Order: sequence, then structure tokens, then C-alpha cells
Amino acid sequence: MTRVKLIGAWLGGTLLIAGVVGILESGAADVFLEATRPDFQKITLGVMGIQTAGGPDWLGGRIEEVLKKDVKRSLVFDLVDLPSLGIQTSDIGNGVGTGSKVVFKQAAEKGVSVVVWGKAGMKGSDKEADVNMEGFVYDNGSDELVGGKRYVGSTSVVRMMAHRFADELVFRYTGEPGIARTKIAYVAEQGAARELFVMDYDGYDARQLTADGFLNLMPQWSPDRRFLIFTAYRNRNTQDIDMIELATGKRWTVISLGGLNITPSLSPDGNFLAFASSHEGNSELYRLDTRTKVIQRLTVNPSGDLSPSWSPNGREMVFVSDRSGGPQLFLMSSDGSNVRRLTFEGDYNAAPVWSPRGNWIAYVCRTHREYKLCVISPDGQKRLQLTTGSGVDDSPSWSPDGRHLVFSSTSDGKSQIYMIDADGKDIERLTFQGTHNSAPSWSPAS
Amino acid sequence: MNNALSTCGLALVMSVALIGMPACAKKSVQSGGDSQSTQGTAKGGTDSSKSGVGSFPDTSVQSGSGGLRGLDKNPSEERVGGGTMLAKVDPSSSAERQMAEVRAEQAASAAAGLRDVFFGYDSWTISEDGRQALTRDADWMKSNSNALVKVEGHCDERGTSAYNLVLGEKRAKAARNYLVELGVSANRLSVVSYGKERQICNEHAESCYQQNRRGHLAIKTGK
Repeated sequence: MTRVKLIGAWLGGTLLIAGVVGILESGAADVFLEATRPDFQKITLGVMGIQTAGGPDWLGGRIEEVLKKDVKRSLVFDLVDLPSLGIQTSDIGNGVGTGSKVVFKQAAEKGVSVVVWGKAGMKGSDKEADVNMEGFVYDNGSDELVGGKRYVGSTSVVRMMAHRFADELVFRYTGEPGIARTKIAYVAEQGAARELFVMDYDGYDARQLTADGFLNLMPQWSPDRRFLIFTAYRNRNTQDIDMIELATGKRWTVISLGGLNITPSLSPDGNFLAFASSHEGNSELYRLDTRTKVIQRLTVNPSGDLSPSWSPNGREMVFVSDRSGGPQLFLMSSDGSNVRRLTFEGDYNAAPVWSPRGNWIAYVCRTHREYKLCVISPDGQKRLQLTTGSGVDDSPSWSPDGRHLVFSSTSDGKSQIYMIDADGKDIERLTFQGTHNSAPSWSPAS
Repeated sequence: MNNALSTCGLALVMSVALIGMPACAKKSVQSGGDSQSTQGTAKGGTDSSKSGVGSFPDTSVQSGSGGLRGLDKNPSEERVGGGTMLAKVDPSSSAERQMAEVRAEQAASAAAGLRDVFFGYDSWTISEDGRQALTRDADWMKSNSNALVKVEGHCDERGTSAYNLVLGEKRAKAARNYLVELGVSANRLSVVSYGKERQICNEHAESCYQQNRRGHLAIKTGK
């Protein structure tokens, strides 16, 4: 399936979903808006360009391209195409003088709240010279500078300069840190092995983390972004839960109880590790106190219990159990009490992840033997199917701002990684290399 | 956010109401009996470490603005690095060793002529064909009484990675249990689930899915 066709199908699906919600309950419009615009109207923003002031001729253009994509993905801003409004971005000049005054005024008249421009050049003339990038922000039609940033670094970090600037813009207008500097950990096939990788949130700069020639599965980030916790096979026979420190590559085993030890999930405060283990017979949920090392068993059931995910306040967990037949989502308090079933629609609901905003739980739902993404509110009252079409969608993971999900899908043939807005509206493919990319996990914001 | 808060509030009220039957109280009885039993880890007997729990670093976050300094009318110079520090991967000999061991295992298993058991969609029930295959496998194990066999549970590509690991374990255990029923000593058999992570057929078709939904018997070579 081509990307264009896929987007078309998704838009159709979204409209359909809105209709379904309307039938289910009267507050349908609120549901839809809540997901699209969490707290406010998007802020209109125009990029007047990042000028190249010396150095390679791609320099300014590259930064501008990355910045615009970041701004768009933030979902905080509505990126406006200035030339289509008849605004000549070159009139900005160097940001002072009558030309720029006219442009700021024009932009404000056309409803553009924030105007950004910048320039990038080299700090010296030798080959090793650093890039110098400056970005400036104006708003509400005023020609008075709101503020700017000045970044210096090697030519290999120009994407990161754009990401930092984008995050500063989000921070300025929302007080949130932005997601442009976040990372995505995932699993990639290497021959018959599956190894851990980390890439930027936009799919660039993928780096390999493990090379042990067997299976490394389902990585999760620690709250401080310093570690990944994942399932690995010692000597191919014993399944353990391992941890790896990103900065050093140091790796060790955390849980090694015998049997299946899978789906590790750290509590938001990092004090507890929930996981599934079959060392006492069938797969049950346990909770490790990471300071005292005491393990508490949370579930008692002859069926399989797995995939715990914490609520943002750490008081509850959502998990998967097949105690009622096929896999379904259940909720419980984080000490294992107060278990109740959350999903009743369909005979296969799995891989739940609680949104960092608390208001949604994303999961994989099966309809007509296709495995798609769904979200459900923790009270079970609202449910949306986010994806449609063929292929197996798996392993949803929320962005730290709760506005996006990353997931794997075989909708283009091989398993690849995609990003989607939390309301199912937009989809972007992130991986294009390799034969099998799966199990994405979005890092916390830095 | 209001939504989430009200949900949690409700949950708290409910947990107070249900306090007479906390699920975790039951299981400390089940998992042992002595006062240590709530830890439930003492029986991870096959592990090198006694408790089965390794060291755990402090991973809690000191919240801040994530290194952002805000916009400034006279911005000072900020040096930009690559973001999160990532170690260069160590291309250890581990990968080559594991692959060589996998090849040795596959060769030994092929030479023994052990048969796979195949399963239905979402199922871990052993079919009549499966029972016949396992009967031959059991006969082979009885006449090769030194061989140790690993029963691997595999799944097709449909469904989630995580749930397929559990499903794969159910399949492996079903096959193991049937072999034990046929008189093979349980301590010659181990089980492992590979879920959908080691498929032998990669097409998106039912003919392929059937081959992947299997219990595979592998001769353990080396340690």
C-alpha cells in the first residue's frame, strides 16, 4: 500500500469513527475535540525561512525543513504557508527596517500569530568549523523581538539545532518541553536476530545498541531516559528481563526467575517495576520494589496475565488477561486489588499503554482478523478505533505530550514503524530501512 | 485531566469497599507459606543469582525544563550535541557464537528427524496429527536416552508480540506435557517461547501462518 493511499484510507476511517461515537453517546463532539485540541486552539505560526549565511548551500534549507516538520508535529502550532498568503518571506531582510515591519504587519493581518525566521552560517573558514545558527521569534504583528536563540555545533548536529529551537517555541507558548528532542527505541531484525536500536523521534539517526545475535524484545525507557529495560534470552533458552545503560552500553540482568519473564514496565516515579512471569506456572503479574528488591505477586489466575502499564499517577495499572477467553484489558490498583474488566468489544484486545495525560488507554484491538489501534477511556465509556485497513498493528507507545502514538504495522508489507496523532488523523512512516522494525517505545521528554 | 482524576477517585473508593478480598493476600499463601513467600522469588532455583533479581539503579527524574533555557532578546551561545549519549555498540563475539550454536542445534535436530506439532489459530490444543508426531518424538527420545530436548513454542505473525509469547509458552507446555504423558522424563525436557519472533515462513498467507504456529523440538547441544 502506498503512503498516499494509506493517508486517504485513514481520513475516511476517522470520519467513520466520529459517526460511530455519535451513536454511542451524546458527548461525541467533545470526545473528538478533546483528542484533537487538548487545551487550546492551535497557534498559527509562519516560518519566514532560515537563511544560509555562508557554509554549505543546503544549510539553512535543511534546518528550515526540520524546523517546519517539528512545528507541524508539535500539534501546538498550525504551520501557515506564508507565500500562499501572498507574503514574500524574503522581505524579512535581516529582521530590522521597513521591509520586515511590513511583513510582520501583513502576517498579523492574515491571522498569523507567531513569525519565526533565522540564519545559519559557519563560525570560521576551516573545514572543521562549527555551524552557527540563530533563530528569532516575533508575535502579534509587532516588530519587537520576542526573543531568540543562538546555537553552535558541528555540521552533524544541525537537525538537533532545529529540534531544540522547535522545543523552545513549544516551551515559550505552552510551558511544556516539546517532543522534538525525544527518541524512539525499537527492535530491528539483523539476520535471524533482533537487536535494540534508538532513533530520533522523526526516524533519523538510528543507532544500534545490542549485538548479541539472538532475541532482544520490547524495550521500555526508564523515566530518566538513561536506561532501556527489555526482554532477552540468556543462552537462547531462558527468558530474562535485562537493562542497558545508553551512555555506556553496560548491560545486566534484572529479573531472572525462570520461565517466561516479559513486558517490563517501570512506574512513572521509577520506584516499581511491573512485569509478567511464568516462573510459578502460568504468566502472572508481579511488582518489584526497585529499592528493597521485594517482589510482590499481583495476580492469581490460571490464565495468562501480561503487559502491565501504569497510570500516570502510579496508582493503577491496565493489563491483559485471557481469563475470560481471548485476551482482554483489565484494570487494577497497583497493589493488585480491585481488578475489573475494561474492554468488552471484540474477542482480542491487547498491548495496552496508558496515556501520560491519563485520559486514554491505547491498545491493539482485533476486528475481522485485522489487528488495529484503538483507544478507550479508563472508565470504559469512550472508545475509538484509530486505524483501519489490512495488516497487523502492534506495540503502541505514547509521546510524552500525549498527542501522538508510535506503533509498528505490517500495512506496507514488512513491519515498519509509524507515528499517528492521538485522534487517528495523521500518519507518518518513520522507518524505511531493514526488513523488520517493531516494538517502538517513545522516550520521556528530556 | 479532570477525567483522569475522577476515575482515580472512583477507583480509590472502590478499593476501600473491596478491601475484604485483596487479590494479593491470597497468593502469598499460594506461593509458599512462610513469611518470605510474598517475595515469591526464592524458587527461581535455576538461576545463577539466588534471588533472581539483579541490581537496580535509581531511575527517578528530577523534573525541570529539559535543558531549555527559554528565548532571550540577546541570546547567548548554546553548544548543541547529538542529544542522548549513546554508546557505540560492541560487536562482541556473542553474535557469532549464538549463530553457530543455533546452526549446531538445527543440524542435530534435523539429523534426529524430530517432528514439529502444528496448532490452530489462537489455539494450543494438540490435534490428532500433533499426537502422532509427538508419539514418534517420544519413541526417539526413549531410544536416545541421553538427549535433552528443548520444546519451542512459536506463533504466526498475527496478534501482538507480547500475547504471542504467552501463547507460544502455552503451546510449548502442551507439547511438553503430552511427551511426559507418553513416558518421557520431564527433566529431559525444557520449554521456551519465541512468540512470533522466529518464524520459518514470512509470507502474509494462511499456508505460511500454519507452518509458523508450531511446537518445535530442538536437541540441546553444548550446555
